[in-house]
Amino acid sequence: MKSWRRKSLWLALSASWLFLFLLGLPPLLRPAVPPRPLPGAPEGWPHWLDAELLPSYSQPGELPEDAAPPTRAPSGGGCNWGACFDPSQCRCGGLKVFVYPAAGPTSEIHHQILASLQRSRYHTFSPREACLLLFLSPDAPTGAPIPVPAQWDGGKNHLVLSLHPAPCPKTFQLGQAMVAEASPPVDTFRPGFDVALPCLPEAHPLQGGAPGQLRQHSPHPAETLLALAEERGGWRTVGTNSSACHWDGRCEQDLAPNQTLGRATLPRATFCLIPSHHSAASRFLQALQAGCVPVLLSPRWELPFSEVIDWTKAAIVADERLPVQVAAALQQMPPARVLALRQQTQFLWDAYFSSVEKIIHTTLEIIQDRISGVSAHPSLMWNNPPGALLALPTFSTSPQDYPFYHLQQGSRPMGGFSALIQVGASAQLPLKLIQAVAGSQHCAQVLILWSSERPPPPRGKWPETAVPLTVMEGHRKASDRFFPHSTINTDAILSLDAHCSLSTSEVDFAFVVWQNFPERMVGFLTMSHFWDSARGGWGYTAEKANEFSMVLTSAAFYHRALRTLADGAPGCVDVLLNFLVAAVTKLPPIKVPYGTRAPPASGDPRPELQPPDPDCVNLMAAGFGHMPLVSSRLRLDPVLFKDPVSVLRKKYRSLEKP
Amino acid sequence: MCASVKYNIRGPALIPRMKTKHRIYYIALFSVVLLGLIATGVFQFWPHSIESASDWGVEKRSVRAVPVVRLPADSPIPERGDLSCRMHTCFDVYRCGFNPKNKIKVYIYPLKKYVDDSGAPVGTTLSREYNELLAAIADSDYYTDDIGRACLFVPSVDVLNQNALRVKETAQALAQLARWDRGMNHLLFNMLPGSPPDYNTALDVPRDRALLAGGGFSTWTYRQGYDVSIPVYSPLSVEVELPEKGPGARRYFLLSSQMGLHPEFREELEALQAKHGDAVMVLDKCTNLSEGVLAVRKRCHKHQVFDYPQVLQEATFCVVLRGARLGQAALSDVLQAGCVPVVIADSYILPFSEVLDWKRASVVVPEEKMSDTYSILQSIPQRQVEEMQRQARWFWEAYFRSIKAIALATLQIINDRIYPYAAISYEEWNDPPMVKWSSVSNPLFLPLIPPQSQGFTAIVLTYDRVESLFRVITEVSKVPSLSKLLVVWNNQNKNPPEESLWPKIRVPLKVVRTAENKLSNRFFPYNEIETEAVLAIDDDIIMLTSDELQFGYEVWREFPDRLVGYPGRLHLWDHEMNKWKYESEWTNEVSMVLTGAAFYHKYFNYLYTYKMPGDIKNWVDAHMNCEDIAMNFLVANVTGKAVIKVTPRKKFKCPECTAIDGLSLDQTHMVERSECINKFASVFGTMPLKVVEHRADPVLYKDDFPEKLKSFPNIGSL
Repeated sequence: MKSWRRKSLWLALSASWLFLFLLGLPPLLRPAVPPRPLPGAPEGWPHWLDAELLPSYSQPGELPEDAAPPTRAPSGGGCNWGACFDPSQCRCGGLKVFVYPAAGPTSEIHHQILASLQRSRYHTFSPREACLLLFLSPDAPTGAPIPVPAQWDGGKNHLVLSLHPAPCPKTFQLGQAMVAEASPPVDTFRPGFDVALPCLPEAHPLQGGAPGQLRQHSPHPAETLLALAEERGGWRTVGTNSSACHWDGRCEQDLAPNQTLGRATLPRATFCLIPSHHSAASRFLQALQAGCVPVLLSPRWELPFSEVIDWTKAAIVADERLPVQVAAALQQMPPARVLALRQQTQFLWDAYFSSVEKIIHTTLEIIQDRISGVSAHPSLMWNNPPGALLALPTFSTSPQDYPFYHLQQGSRPMGGFSALIQVGASAQLPLKLIQAVAGSQHCAQVLILWSSERPPPPRGKWPETAVPLTVMEGHRKASDRFFPHSTINTDAILSLDAHCSLSTSEVDFAFVVWQNFPERMVGFLTMSHFWDSARGGWGYTAEKANEFSMVLTSAAFYHRALRTLADGAPGCVDVLLNFLVAAVTKLPPIKVPYGTRAPPASGDPRPELQPPDPDCVNLMAAGFGHMPLVSSRLRLDPVLFKDPVSVLRKKYRSLEKP
Repeated sequence: MCASVKYNIRGPALIPRMKTKHRIYYIALFSVVLLGLIATGVFQFWPHSIESASDWGVEKRSVRAVPVVRLPADSPIPERGDLSCRMHTCFDVYRCGFNPKNKIKVYIYPLKKYVDDSGAPVGTTLSREYNELLAAIADSDYYTDDIGRACLFVPSVDVLNQNALRVKETAQALAQLARWDRGMNHLLFNMLPGSPPDYNTALDVPRDRALLAGGGFSTWTYRQGYDVSIPVYSPLSVEVELPEKGPGARRYFLLSSQMGLHPEFREELEALQAKHGDAVMVLDKCTNLSEGVLAVRKRCHKHQVFDYPQVLQEATFCVVLRGARLGQAALSDVLQAGCVPVVIADSYILPFSEVLDWKRASVVVPEEKMSDTYSILQSIPQRQVEEMQRQARWFWEAYFRSIKAIALATLQIINDRIYPYAAISYEEWNDPPMVKWSSVSNPLFLPLIPPQSQGFTAIVLTYDRVESLFRVITEVSKVPSLSKLLVVWNNQNKNPPEESLWPKIRVPLKVVRTAENKLSNRFFPYNEIETEAVLAIDDDIIMLTSDELQFGYEVWREFPDRLVGYPGRLHLWDHEMNKWKYESEWTNEVSMVLTGAAFYHKYFNYLYTYKMPGDIKNWVDAHMNCEDIAMNFLVANVTGKAVIKVTPRKKFKCPECTAIDGLSLDQTHMVERSECINKFASVFGTMPLKVVEHRADPVLYKDDFPEKLKSFPNIGSL
C-alpha cells in the first residue's frame, strides 16, 4: 500500500512537473532574455500613459492680445526687397530702367553693355520715368574716384551692376542699392534683394553667343565620368578610380592615365567637379556650356540667378568633405537623372547665359518679376525650355497660354483656329479663300485685315459664312499680321494672304497636324536658306528643293503666343517670324502638302511666293548673333497619301487631285 | 485500481495518515508545483506585455515619472547662435557618412525633466505636439536608437513655445546633452519664438550651432540653407474636419478672420471693407458669447456670428497678417479651407520656403501697400485664382495638416541637403497629385537634332534564318548613315555561322549570343551600341530600300524622342466588346509602328529592360509576342507623343502575313495582339498611345520634280 501510494504520488508529481515544464517554462524564461528581444528593432519613443493629458504647446488665450506695433526693418544695414525698394514708383507694375551714362573714359565692352541695356524693353532715357536706376560699375579700376550718381538718394531703387569680378571700387557707400555681381559670396548675399550673376570669362560674347556643346542626349559609353577644374585653369579628366587626387584640384601622384586639357577647351565628361574656392566659379559656365553637369563642392558663392533657376535640375551641390561618397553617388546615379541633368545644362546655357545681353535681360526680368508679384513668371516657365525671357508678361504669364508646356501641364491647345486674311493694296475680295477656310470644321472665326487705301466693301458683298467674319481696317505694314489682336480667341492662327488659294481639305489636314506640333509653324509654302560663298553671306530661295528651313506666313498655322515675339522690321516679316520661332524651339518648321495649282494666267507667277528682300536673312542673322534656322527634309502627308488604295478609303482625298 | 485512483484524488484524506517528515516534504513539493502552475497561468493570460516584441522596449510610463536632472546654477550655457552658419561650416557631415539608402539617421534623446537648483522646472517637460513630433520621427525611416550611428540629434527638451520655458536654464539643459558638442548636428523645433514686448523672430535660447526649425523666421534671423522655416501648427487641423471645397468664386472675395490684430492694421482693413462693400469682410473676436462656447471657434462682425474656421471656406482670399509674431497659425487654417492666403508680414520667411513655391499658393502684399490689396487681388486672372486655391489646399494636406507632416517635411529638407544627388525635385514637392498624374515629363526634352555624322546602329534579331539574315545585312549595309551592325543571335542550340561566311560589309559587324531565346533580347541596352539612334530590324525585312532607311534616319533626327518606323498600326475602341482592338488594315490613322523596322533612341532600350511597368516584360517573353506593342506603349507613356510613320505603305512580310494556313492563324494572331493592348492598357492604368493622321515623306515625294534631283528618289516602290 505504502509503495503504490508513494509510486502514485511520485507519478503525479512528475506529471505536474512535466506539465509545468511544457507550458510554463518558455514564457517564464522569456523575461530572462535581455531587454531588447530583437537586436535590430529600435527602441522608439515611449507611448506615454498620459499622452492624452499632455498640455498643448500653445493655449488659445495665451497669444498676445495687443500685438506689437508695426516695426520697420531693424537698423544695421540689412536690406530686403520690402524694406529697401519702393515699387510704387513703377507705374502700372511696369519696370522702367534708367542707366547712368558712363562717366569718363570707358572701355569698348562697357560701351557695348550700355548698348545692350538700351536694347532692353525696360529701358528708358528719362530718369524721372524710371523706377530702377542702374549704375554700371566700371570693369577696370580707373584710379579716379567714382562720383556718386546724381539721383543716388541713399541708393534707394538703385541696382549696381558689375559683370566682371574685378574688385568693385566701392568709393561710395552702396547704402540701400541692390547689387548684381558675379558669384557673390554666400555670407553677404541678400536673397530676394541682390542678384547673383555668373562669373564670366573674359571673352564672353555680347550678343547671340555660341550654342551649347552637347551633341547627344545620353553620354557616349566611352565618355569619361569626371572632369576636374584645375587651379591653373583648364580641366583634367579623371579616371574614375583616381582617389589620389585632392578634390580642390591638386594631385599628388602619377597622372599618367589622366589627361590635362588647356584653359580654353571645354571639358568632355559627364560630370565636372568644381572646387569650393572662389576662383573656380568662373569654370561653372564652361561646364554648363559643355553639357558637363557641374558638381559644386560646397560652393562659398551664390549660384547665378538662384532666385528663379532651380539648380537642382542642372547641377549638383555636394559636400567637399565627403569625396568618396560623392564619387560613388555620381557613379551610381540612375541614367534617367543623368539624362535630365545634361539636357537642363544646355537649356539654361542657351536661355540665360550664352551672351552678356541674355544675362542682362535675365537680371532685369528677375526684377520685373519681383515687381509684378502675382503675375510673375511661374517657376515652370523659368525652368523649362524655352525659358522665361521669351514669354512676354504683357501677353500672359500663364503656362497654358504658351504652346511649350502642354506636356507638363497635361493640357491641349485651346479651340479651333482663327483665320487671319490680309487683303493688300489690290483690294480684291478673296471670296473663294474665305469660303474654303470658313468651310473647315475647325474654323472658329475669320478675320480680314484690310490694308488697302480703298475702303472695304459693304457688309452685303461679303460671302455668307457659318463662322463670324470680322473686318479690321489695318495699317499698311506687312507686320500687321503679327500684332496681337485681342479679337483672336483661339490658340491657333491661320495666317493667309488674299492671293492664296487653299482647299478646305488642305486647311483641315494642316490644322490637325498643327495640333500635334503647336510650338512649330505649320505651312504650305516653304523657303530654304543657304550659305552663299560667292557673296559671303546668307541667301535664301523659294525654289523647290529637297529641304527647307522657313515657311511663308502667307499660308501658315502658328500659335498666337508666337505672334507676340515678332515686332517691327517691315518687309522681313516672314524671315523674322521664322527666325524667332526657330530660335525659340530650335526646331525646323513643318511642311504639309499643297496641291499643285494651275499657273496663273498673268505674267506674275505665284504672287504669294515672291521672296522678300534678300538682305533680310543677313540682317536677322547679324541681329541674332547666329543662324538659328534649322533645315528639315520631310513633309507630313496624310497616312494614305497617294497610296495604291481606293480613294474612298482616304480621309483627305481631295489633296491628291491633280 | 479504480479505487486507488479515487483515493489519490482525495489527496487531503491521505495526508494525515502519512508520517510527519514525509508530509512536510510532500506539502512543500505540491506547493512548488502549484506555484509554478499559477505563475505559468499568469504569464499565459498576460500576453500583450510579453509577446509583442516591438513594444518590448516601450514601457508604459508616465511623463511625470521621467528621471529628473538638476541643473546647477553655474552649469555652462551654449553660445548664441552664429548667423553665418551654413551646412558646410557648422554641420558635421562626417557623422552622416556613406549611406546606401541616402537617409540620415536621427537620434532622439530620452525624455528627462530638468529642474534648476531650487527644484523649479525649466519649462514644460513635454507638450502634446512635441510628443507627437518625436513619436513621428521615431516611427519614420530616419530613426535610430544608436547614438553612435546618428547623424542628427533631436533633444527631447521641448522648446516649441518660448513662453513656456526659461531661456537660460533651457540653454543649460541643452548644453549638458550627451553629444551636444557646441550644438553640432542638433535640431531644435520651435513654433512660437520670442517673448514680450518685442518678440524676436527666432528662438532666444542660446543654441550655438544647432539647426533651428522655426515658425516665424524673418529674413534677418533666418540662415538660408541652414535653418528650416516651419509652419505654426494649428490645433484646429485635427479638431475640425473641413471637406475639400472645389475652386471657384465664393461669397466673400477677401476675408480677415484673425483676432487681436494691431489697431493700425484693423483700421486699414476696415477702410478696405468700407470701400469695397460686401466683397470684403473683416471679422473680429466675439464679445458676448454664451457660456460654454469656445471663443476661438467663433468670429463676429457687428451682430453676426460665424463659425471658425468654417467661415474661411466662404472666401476666395484670406488675409494672414502678422501679429506680435510673424508666423501665424491662421495660415494653416486658411490653407485648410482652400482659401488663398494673402500674407501681409514684411520679411516673413514662409514655411518650407526652401522647397515650396509659395507664389503658386499665396499672394504676398507688402505692409506698405496694404491699402492696394483689393486691386492687386482683382488683377489676378480667375484661372490662376482657382489654381492657387487648389494649390493652397494641397500644401495643407501635404505639409501642414499634422505635426507628423511638419516633422517629416523638415527632416526631408535636411536629408536633401546632405544627399543632394538623391534630393526630391521641385515637382515632387509642389505639384498636387492631380498634376503629377496628368503631366508627362519627357526624358528627352531638349530639342536637340543629333548630328548626322553619328549615324545609327542596326540591331537584327535572328534565330536561324541565316540566308534571309545575310540579305538583310547586305541591304542595310548600303545605307550611308549606318555605323555599326549588331546581330542578336537568339538561338542557343545552334552556333552562328563561321566568321568567313558572313557578308563583307563596310561597317563593324558584331554578333551577340544570348543566354535564352527571349524577345526582350532585341531591346537590351548592349554596350556595343555607341550611337544614340538604333534601328531595330527583323531578319526578314528585305524590302526596304536604302533610300527609305536613310530617310527614316533623317526623320528620326528631327524626332529623336519618338519611335520612327515603317509599318504603322492602329488601336481602336471596340464598342461592342467594350475593349481595345488591334487594327492592321489600311487606315487613315496610326498609333503604333512595328519594331520589325523602326528607329528609336537607345535610352528606350534601357527603359524597356529596367523600367517596364508591371509584369509586361515577362508576359511578352512568355507569349513570344507583342514586344513591339510594349515598346510603343512605353515610349508613348514616357514622352506623351505619337509615333512617326515614315514613307508610304508597302507590302511587308509582316508577322500577320506569316500565317501558314491562311486566315485562321491570321485571326488568332490579331486576337492575341488585341489582348496585348488590353493587358498593357490595364498595367499602365491608362491608354498612352496617341493617334495621328500624318506620316512623314520626303519634301518632294510625288511632286512634279525631276526624279534625278530628289534626295530620296527610291521611296515607296513596291
